[in-house]
Amino acid sequence: MAANPELKQKVEELLGSNPVFLFMKGTPEMPRCGFSMRVVGVLEQLGVEYGAVDVLPLLDPLREVTGELADWRTFPQLYVNSDLVGGCDIVEEMFESGELAELVGAEQPEGVAAPAPQAPADPQQSPPMQLG
Amino acid sequence: MADLAEVKRMIEAELPGAEVEVVDETGSGDHLRATVRAPQFAGRTRIDQHRLVRAAVQPRMDDGSIHALSVKTDVAEPAG
Repeated sequence: MAANPELKQKVEELLGSNPVFLFMKGTPEMPRCGFSMRVVGVLEQLGVEYGAVDVLPLLDPLREVTGELADWRTFPQLYVNSDLVGGCDIVEEMFESGELAELVGAEQPEGVAAPAPQAPADPQQSPPMQLG
Repeated sequence: MADLAEVKRMIEAELPGAEVEVVDETGSGDHLRATVRAPQFAGRTRIDQHRLVRAAVQPRMDDGSIHALSVKTDVAEPAG
């Protein structure tokens, strides 16, 4: 099935206007999936500004869109400058090695061994976004 | 429920020369972890390395025998 062109365009606009952008299940305040929560935890530890959108209300249409844009259909997905960096595994691996901090232009937090297990109380995410 | 040996063979067939380990993470047989060290990964981003591994096992994702696949990749230096 081909992606909905309007939805695809909205996604491209969001990626264009948010240098760091996360597709996740749930919201940064209330993640609905452990993998999404872990990526939020990494971004909060880096202290980087990011946009986030909850994929659950439009799960299948968004899979089609990200399948076409990035050949990737599972969530979470972290994008930097419109390029897919990866899901939870890759994000955590690149965080621990310091590559992610470099990629997003953030300071690597001291003493990073593993990302925080819990989403923080005060996420720095963008205002809520809705795609449909 | 996936056949771990078959999944390993599928990855090895896609990436000749790779060292592949496939483990059942939960005991349910459908949440797998693949650790892959392959010379083909050289010069590729991590997401591309993961795409190669996923593509190799896609038929088992599509037929539902694998529900979740967690991937860890490493670049193998070419021998010689």
